[in-house]
Amino acid sequence: MNAMNTVTPAPRIAEVKGLKVHFQSKQGRVHAVDGVDFDIRDGEMLGLVGETGCGKSVTGRCFLDLVPQPPADIAGGRVLFRPRGGKACPDCSGKGCETCGGTGAETLDLLNIPAKKMRQIRGEKIAMIFQDPGKALNPTLTIGAQLSEVFLQHKSHELLEAAGVGEGDRGWVAGSLRRQANQREGSFDRWARRFPPLKGPSRRLQKALDEKVAAALAETQIPNPRRVMTSYPHELSGGMRQRVMIAQSLACDPDLIIADEPTTALDVTIQARILDLIKMLQAKRRTSVLYISHDLSLVRKVCDRVAVMYAGRIAEVGTVSQVFTDPRHPYTQGLLNAVPRAGTRRGHLASIPGTVPELVDPPPACRFVDRCPKAMAQCRGADPQLLPVTEGHDVACFLEHPREDTAPETPRLETA
Amino acid sequence: MMTMQNPMTEIATSKKAGDTLLSVRNLKKHFPIKDGVLQSTVGHVKAVDDVSFDIRRGETVGLVGESGCGKTTLSQCVAGLMEPTSGEVLFDTGRGGTLGPEDRIDRMSGKQKAKYRRNVQMVFQDNFASLNPRNLVVDIVGRPLRVHGEASGGLLTERVVELLEQVGLGRQHLYRYPHQFSGGQRQRISIARALALDPDLIVLDEPTSALDVSVQAQILNLLGDLQQQRHLAYLFVTHDLSVVRHMADRTVTMYLGRVVEHGPTETIFRDAQHPYTKALLAAKPDLDDDPDAPIATLEGTIPDPARPPKACRFHTRCPVATPDCGWEVDDIVRLLESDDTLFERLSGVSRKSELEAELAFETEEAACKLWEVLRSDRVPEAMREATEILDVKGSKLNVRFRDSDEIGLRALGSGHEAACVHAGRLS
Repeated sequence: MNAMNTVTPAPRIAEVKGLKVHFQSKQGRVHAVDGVDFDIRDGEMLGLVGETGCGKSVTGRCFLDLVPQPPADIAGGRVLFRPRGGKACPDCSGKGCETCGGTGAETLDLLNIPAKKMRQIRGEKIAMIFQDPGKALNPTLTIGAQLSEVFLQHKSHELLEAAGVGEGDRGWVAGSLRRQANQREGSFDRWARRFPPLKGPSRRLQKALDEKVAAALAETQIPNPRRVMTSYPHELSGGMRQRVMIAQSLACDPDLIIADEPTTALDVTIQARILDLIKMLQAKRRTSVLYISHDLSLVRKVCDRVAVMYAGRIAEVGTVSQVFTDPRHPYTQGLLNAVPRAGTRRGHLASIPGTVPELVDPPPACRFVDRCPKAMAQCRGADPQLLPVTEGHDVACFLEHPREDTAPETPRLETA
Repeated sequence: MMTMQNPMTEIATSKKAGDTLLSVRNLKKHFPIKDGVLQSTVGHVKAVDDVSFDIRRGETVGLVGESGCGKTTLSQCVAGLMEPTSGEVLFDTGRGGTLGPEDRIDRMSGKQKAKYRRNVQMVFQDNFASLNPRNLVVDIVGRPLRVHGEASGGLLTERVVELLEQVGLGRQHLYRYPHQFSGGQRQRISIARALALDPDLIVLDEPTSALDVSVQAQILNLLGDLQQQRHLAYLFVTHDLSVVRHMADRTVTMYLGRVVEHGPTETIFRDAQHPYTKALLAAKPDLDDDPDAPIATLEGTIPDPARPPKACRFHTRCPVATPDCGWEVDDIVRLLESDDTLFERLSGVSRKSELEAELAFETEEAACKLWEVLRSDRVPEAMREATEILDVKGSKLNVRFRDSDEIGLRALGSGHEAACVHAGRLS
C-alpha cells in the first residue's frame, strides 16, 4: 500500500513547479501560494495537509483553473499534467525533451491552456470533489439532471450511438439529436421530440443517459439509484450528497481527482465509509488522488505520500511512514504533537505558540521562524529550499540543510 | 492566576469537589411534526428520549454521538435554552443538602433562577454566529457583567481586560469587532464571555470542531488550565473522540436520543461494551493505530427518530445483534423503503401490533419474493431467528416477531453502564 515498497517510482501524472498565486488586497500583495513544488505519481494518493489559510485549497483549484482572476494573480510556476494514454509529446515526438520532462508523453501546462481545452479536461481527465456537497450541488436541479451534464459534456458521442446516430449522419433528425446530446437544444427541438420520427431515438438517447447516471450512482453504493436521481439535493443526507459528488467526479473515469476535504462536513462513521469508498474505487481504477485535508490522522490512514504545507510553501514531503515516524521539519513535529493522544495530560498538549503569519509581502525567510522552537539566526534572510534528506523525503529547513553563506548576512539582520 | 478576587470564587471553591452539581433525570424532548392545512401534529421527533446522568463539581463529562443523536438538544436543555417535554434538570444553586424537587430549573424561584443562569454558561460551536457582528469585544464580554449588575463604567472595562488576559487576549483587543479576529481568537472571546460571571458549569457545544489542530491544542490547554484554576465543570459535547479522551473524566455515548453507554473515559476507551461505542471508536483514525489496518465501517443509516426502533435502537445496524434486540414490523418497512423493487407491488399493510402485521401485495409472486428475501441473508441472521411466523396466503404475507424486553442501562461496576444484551458478557 505504501509507496515505500515500490522500488521504481511510478511515472508522474502531474507536477507542480514553483507555483505562485498572489492575491491583491488593500494591505498589499498576499502571497497565498508562494513557490510550491510537488508531483503526483500515477495511481497514488497524495495527501496535502496544512492549517486553514496555508494555501492548500488554492493549490488544488489551480489544477482546474478554478481560481478567479482577479483578485488572484498567478504570478509564476507551472502545473504540468500528463493525461493517461495521451499522444506523444509534439515537441520531440516521444523521444523525451524539456517540455515533457523526458517522458515523451503529451504534457499540458494547466495554467496556460485555452479555455476550450480546459473544459475538455475538467470532469473528464481531472475531477474535483468539493468540501461541502450541500453548496457544490445545485439546489434547483435534480441529482439526475446534474449528473447528466457530465455525460452530455464529455460522452455525447456514446449517447448518440445509442440513439442510432452515426458520425456522418446528416438531416434534421440527426441534427436535433446532436443538439440534444450537446445541451444546445432549442424550444423547437423540445417540442418536436414529442412526435415521430424524433420521438423514438430521443427516448433511446435519454434512456442511455439515465442508465449511465444510474450506473455511476450505483458504483458509489447508493441504494436505489433510480430514486435518488429524481430527488433534489436537500432531500438527501450529508453522506449521501457526498456520494453523489463522488459519483459525479468518477463519472468519466478521470486520471486525477482533486479531493478538497471531502469528509470534513461528515460524521466519523460516515467519514469512515466515504474513505473506504474512495480508497476502494481508487484501487480499482488506479486513479491518482490529491487529497487535501487538515486531519493528520486521516491522511496517515488513506494516503501513500504526504506533503505538509505551511503559509504558502511546502515544508516537508515524503511517504506517509517517513513523515509520520520521522518528521524532520519543526512544523510537522509541532502539528503531530498537537493532536490529542492517549496519555497526554489535560492542559498539557504541545501547542504551537503564535499564529500563522500575515502573508502580505513577506520578507525572504523561513515562514515558520517566528513560531519555531528551534529557530536560528540563519533562518532569516533567505528562503529554505525543499531538499532531500533521504530517498523520497524532502524537507525545507535550515536545520537539515545549513546555509553556506550564513556568516555575512545574519548579524546585520539581527541588529536591524 | 487572577489578580482580582471575585466573591463568587470563594463560595465555589468552598464547595466540596465530587458533589453533584447538575442532575439530568429522565429527560425527554420531543419535537412535534406538523402537517396539513390545519398544521395538526402527526408525530413526534424524539430528539432526547429518557436520558439521565449527573455532572459533579470540577469534572468534565464528554457527550459523544453522531449528528442527529440529540446531543445538542440535550446540552441546550441543560443550559436552560430549551424547555424539556418531560423529565427534570436539577441544579445545585448552593441551597445546601441533596438535590431535590426544589432544585428543578423550571420550578426555581426568581432568585434561585438568577443564580442558575449565572452559574451555567455556554460556548457555541459556530463562534461566528454566536458573537454579534455589530458589537465590540468589550460589549460582548461585558454584557453578562452588566446584565447581572456586577460592574459598570471603568470597572467593567477593567474586568473585561482581566477576562481577556485570562484567555490569552489583551487590552488591545477591547475595541475590535468579531470579524477582525481569527477562528481561534473568536472562540477565546466566547470562552471569556462564558467565564465573565465565574460559573460552576460551562456547556461546550463542539468548541473546537471548526478549528485547526494547532489552535485546537491551544484552546484545549486553555480549558484545562481554567478548570484547574476555577474548579469548573464542563459538559463537553463533541463528535471527536480523541478530544473526549483527552478532556473528559466521564463519557456519555448517545444514539438516537438515548444513552447507550456511560462510564469513566478510560474504561470506555479501553473496554467499550456497547457495539455502537465500539464502532465509533473504530471509525476514528488515530495517530497511534496501525496505518494498514482497514477502516472499520458501520453499515446502514440512522433510522428516522420519529419512529425509533424498539428495544435496543441500534439493532438495525448492529453487527452482533441477537433475536432479543427488539425486531419488529418496522424493520420490514425499513427494508422495503431501501428497495424499490419490493415496494412497488405493496398494496397495504395492516398492523395488528408492533410485532405482528399482514402485508398485502398486488400479486402472489410479489408476496413470495418478499418471503424469500426475509429468509435470505439480505436480512440479519438475528432477525430471521426472531421471526416466529412467516407465511404467504394468496397475495398476503403474515409475519410475527418474538417479543423482547426493553434494554436498559446495566451496571458493569465502577460507574460503567451499557445498554446492550451483550454488556459484561462480550469483551
